[in-house]
Amino acid sequence: MWRRLFATAPAFRAQKAPCRSFKSSRRSDKDVFEEVEDQFRAFRKKAVKAMPGSDWSPFELTPGLPPERADVVIIGGGVVGWSIAYWIKRKERTRGALRVVVVEKDPTYSQASTVLSCGGIRQQFSLKENILLSLESADFLRNINKHLWVTNEDPVDLQFNHSGYLFLASEKSAHVMEENYSTQRYAGAKVVLLSPSQLKERFPWMNTEGVALASLGLENEGWFDPWSLLNAFRRKALSMGVYQCFGEVTGFRYSTQIAEVAEGDFVDFRRIKCVNVRMPNSLEYQPVECPVVVNAAGANSGKIAAMLGIGLGPEESVSGIPFPVEPRKRFVYVVHCPDGPGLDTPFLIDYSGVYLRREGLGGNYIAGMSPEETEEPDISNLDVDHEFFQEKVWHHLAHRIPAFEKLKVSSAWAGFYDYNTFDQNGILGLHPLVANMYFATGFSGHGLQQSPAVGRAIAELILDRGYKTIDLSAFGIKRIIKKKPILERNIV
Amino acid sequence: MLKVLIPTIMLFPTIWLSSSKWLWTTTTMNSFLIAFISLTWLKWTSDTGWNASNSYMAADPLSTPLLVLTCWLLPLMILASQNHINSEPVNRQRMYITLLASLQTFMIMAFGATKIIMFYIMFEATLIPTLIIITRWGNQAERLNAGTYFLFYTLAGSLPLLVALLLLQQSTGTLSMLVLQYSDPLLLNSWGHKIWWAGCLIAFLVKMPLYGMHLWLPKAHVEAPVAGSMILAAVLLKLGGYGMMRMMVMLDPLSKQLAYPFIILALWGVIMTGLVCLRQTDLKSLIAYSSVGHMGLVAGGILIQTPWGFTGAIILMIAHGLTSSALFCLANTSYERTHSRTMILARGLQMVLPLATVWWFIANLANLALPPLPNLMGELMIITALFNWSPWTIIITGMGTLITANYSLYMFLTSQRGSIPEHITNLSPSHTREHLLMTLHLIPIILLMLKPELMWGWCN
Repeated sequence: MWRRLFATAPAFRAQKAPCRSFKSSRRSDKDVFEEVEDQFRAFRKKAVKAMPGSDWSPFELTPGLPPERADVVIIGGGVVGWSIAYWIKRKERTRGALRVVVVEKDPTYSQASTVLSCGGIRQQFSLKENILLSLESADFLRNINKHLWVTNEDPVDLQFNHSGYLFLASEKSAHVMEENYSTQRYAGAKVVLLSPSQLKERFPWMNTEGVALASLGLENEGWFDPWSLLNAFRRKALSMGVYQCFGEVTGFRYSTQIAEVAEGDFVDFRRIKCVNVRMPNSLEYQPVECPVVVNAAGANSGKIAAMLGIGLGPEESVSGIPFPVEPRKRFVYVVHCPDGPGLDTPFLIDYSGVYLRREGLGGNYIAGMSPEETEEPDISNLDVDHEFFQEKVWHHLAHRIPAFEKLKVSSAWAGFYDYNTFDQNGILGLHPLVANMYFATGFSGHGLQQSPAVGRAIAELILDRGYKTIDLSAFGIKRIIKKKPILERNIV
Repeated sequence: MLKVLIPTIMLFPTIWLSSSKWLWTTTTMNSFLIAFISLTWLKWTSDTGWNASNSYMAADPLSTPLLVLTCWLLPLMILASQNHINSEPVNRQRMYITLLASLQTFMIMAFGATKIIMFYIMFEATLIPTLIIITRWGNQAERLNAGTYFLFYTLAGSLPLLVALLLLQQSTGTLSMLVLQYSDPLLLNSWGHKIWWAGCLIAFLVKMPLYGMHLWLPKAHVEAPVAGSMILAAVLLKLGGYGMMRMMVMLDPLSKQLAYPFIILALWGVIMTGLVCLRQTDLKSLIAYSSVGHMGLVAGGILIQTPWGFTGAIILMIAHGLTSSALFCLANTSYERTHSRTMILARGLQMVLPLATVWWFIANLANLALPPLPNLMGELMIITALFNWSPWTIIITGMGTLITANYSLYMFLTSQRGSIPEHITNLSPSHTREHLLMTLHLIPIILLMLKPELMWGWCN
């Protein structure tokens, strides 16, 4: 054995006999004192991190987790969600009384309806509630720096173009427009009706063939930058102490009470105890215990409602009625026309359904059209269908504005409407089957322009027990359960 | 003494050896049995001033009411915890009840101790189960902060106490309360003695808590689960008061000057915490701050060292223990249903839980010291004793009483009256267990109103 040992060791004779050193760590070239100095240096570096004022903690906490307990959890960080957060913080009577958490799935807002919106605001609706909502919101937006200023930060610039909306009506729908006009004037909107000749006088670039009546908004109508509004709300709400969390709501923990209704059926009444918020790109989730949840998830509101069993019950019962909000894709095309109408172009909405507005000062315009019910585009992605512009939009546009026969489509995008399949108007308030989830969704393209007033309305519901400024009980979920839609009588 | 202590210690095998189906039933029944046995202590049969004695433990008119309160509270804590602990695995439930029972054991030994060093050891020992309850079963991430504050405030105060006790042992040769009460007054004429005086009392003042050192209390009360809040409010704070009453015997001539700043702090605390209560948005935080205010009055009553002061202090301690514990139970019933402690979101509950409103009403009336409840008797005796000590204190105590009534009314009106928000219109109705719990809190207060001699202390 000894022979084998000595035979395999290379050049052993010149060295000491093979033996283990006393140190178990790697051999280093430094001597003892230098190693001690190294240890001290490492210790000091670590100690600096642990001093108060640094964010080192002995526990490994995932950054960005929402708090374990909150008072109001708002699902959806779009303009409606942040507006609600701002208004709740504004209406709490003692500072810091309520802990509000806004949960947003996508920090880049790449698919959010808010930022993909055209940004228009109008009061030309036929329902009084819609008119009042937009009127109050316009008033808020005009005085936005009074409401949303933050110390030491730049003032908010919404780039609000007060150019007004111009609706065109054909012979068939002129009477609807007249009735809407009186509703709007009665509610306080500043709208004027124009005959075709007055229209031609005012907007000489327009072809008034087929137009029987037009209605133009004189004040509080136009368009603004949705991203600025979102950021203004967010900045102000964060400064008031709202917690922002990026994560996806994957489920709820709820308690169920089973009640027997008059007909003998059993109905589940649910009360949400916790909201499970999953962290982005991770399986980790945090249950946030809360008494009130607000569903402002826009196009995904239907999915959130389904997590609570709304729509999953037996067909004939209340719990079988699904929450009627689903995403619908709409395209927006940016066109460039050098000879197009000038600065006074309003947001034109033709009776064929085509809309157009000026974008910037360089001869660019934004145009689009709502597709037919039967031809809804695919909602699995946000790809743009350019054929739609060529086939459907362009010839109506060119008919109405002759200058647009020569135009170039510079770009296009698509966004989701949180489309209320029931009656295309907002859904506000509590659901009878879920005790503590407030809904603020289903605006079907009007969410941005109604967001300040909607935020205030929801805050009034939560904190004041009922609507105080605008009575929006007509927009409650009851109408869906009773199957009584309240439809906008558009002129289209 | 042992006939209560041994069954309490035997609760531990009961907890761990019961089957999971019978766990809560057996522990509740056994602790009720212990509570009823402890009521026998109230019958005073001794001439010597100490009752139920053995070599190491005894009860006197000061400690007897506190002992009975401690024993009474354990079944109430177990009743209150049944709902929220139910969702945990059985062994964790056993652990929880073990912690509560261990607190009971330590406190019986603390209140029944005749040697001050044993009282000190038990005083420290109660910190550990309470810390475990707060940090393990509390609700939010702030509970770690709360546990730290709780532990270190008390420890920082009690280390000087250990040194002071050792010095006392050194100079008098004994630490037995039975002997020290008859010893000659000590010669306390140097600065060292003044520091010794402070060392004896700081631990108890932090525990009471005195207004300047009260920061641990709102945190600990709010973050603790309901049983933790109950035991903290009802008994652990009284450890401080009891300790002060025992120690003041030896500290005599110095107290006349040295107590001055602490009395002023205590009285100032009554007003300040009352004003803080008016601005609280968290229900448990409001009740916690009101505890600080009440115990400030108790501290004032003890520090002036008159018979009426002591009597008022002990009556107020017992009454406040039961009332505060009742309020925490009510706050917990609201919390379990709405999952929120914020008062704005859980208001107008009279419409939904009308019977609970009755309990809220009585508990709030007790809190604001409504006659003829013992809360008023205690407060009145302390206020009168303070007035005798210095007429100017009536301004502070009078304003304190006014502000107390103010925030009690605020608490009642916000949580019960007014319109109820729509998201809590369907809450599950009150359980019988909750009604029983409140009855067991409030009946003793009403009975004590009829026979206050049971808790008068030495003034009989």
